[in-house]
Amino acid sequence: MALVERIEERIVKVPLESATRDGVIDELVGVLAAAGLITDREAARAAVMEREAKGSTGLAEGIAVPHGKTPAVKDLAVAIGVSREGVDFGAMDGLPSRLFFLIMAPPDKAGPHIEALAEIARMARSKAFCRALVGAGDAREVVELLRGD
Amino acid sequence: MDGPLRKLLVYVDGSEGSFDAVRLAVVLARTFGASLRAIAVVDTRALGELVQARIFLEAEREEYRRDLEGDVGRYLRRAQDIGRRKGLEVEVKRAQGSVSAEIKACVLECGIDLLVVGEMAQVRSRRDELYDEVDRAMRTVPCSVFVAKNGDRIEEIYDHLD
Repeated sequence: MALVERIEERIVKVPLESATRDGVIDELVGVLAAAGLITDREAARAAVMEREAKGSTGLAEGIAVPHGKTPAVKDLAVAIGVSREGVDFGAMDGLPSRLFFLIMAPPDKAGPHIEALAEIARMARSKAFCRALVGAGDAREVVELLRGD
Repeated sequence: MDGPLRKLLVYVDGSEGSFDAVRLAVVLARTFGASLRAIAVVDTRALGELVQARIFLEAEREEYRRDLEGDVGRYLRRAQDIGRRKGLEVEVKRAQGSVSAEIKACVLECGIDLLVVGEMAQVRSRRDELYDEVDRAMRTVPCSVFVAKNGDRIEEIYDHLD
């Protein structure tokens, strides 16, 4: 619930332009900044990079879930991106990542942060659904899939 | 405490909807002369799922567990404050585990007559409906469940309580 109720077209980017891990993170943080959901873009980016430095958030099946805690957001903020070419995100299966969920939460909102991540973990279990998201033609289609699933 | 409802339980998760539920539960408890208990749960089940899915590192699980414990403490203090403002002492229950299982256990253990929960989000996917822990609690508790809706109206009702 924490995730789906926050999904709207302005926080979804299809396709992503970046071809590197850092570039994708920067691009998705930029999506949140453009949507007015973060107050300090550099601090938000640094929080995600700091977490990524401890271990990749690239999962199997082409999904990556970069996330971080930062006071640069006032509430749980989510951005979604789809890469057509795939990006080396250091995923556990060694395959390029194509579907990205950037999750940022303020330090005092651990509950919604965990709820959103848990929703993605459940979603990631369905390979067919993830394939449908990766194959989405535009942001609207991603939103419809997520709300309808 | 010999009215038709003697023991009420309200679930608090930090959302404004859950605090609307606390306000309404305070009104109900005062009206029926019932006791009110508030429960908040550190969702260690979700933390475990995230480690299993490799979204969380083991160290992150511990860090977020501490964060959640802090959150739960704040939520319960706020629930107590909402009660005190209307002269009602709200007992609190901190739990950890699966949200629905802990709510159900508290209902059974304390002999709760009525569970009060906040309004569910309007935008929900089918997956949410399958996995929502409050939904599951509502389906599995052996007592009646009251869903608090319309926060503005609840605030008016709460404000009018002497």
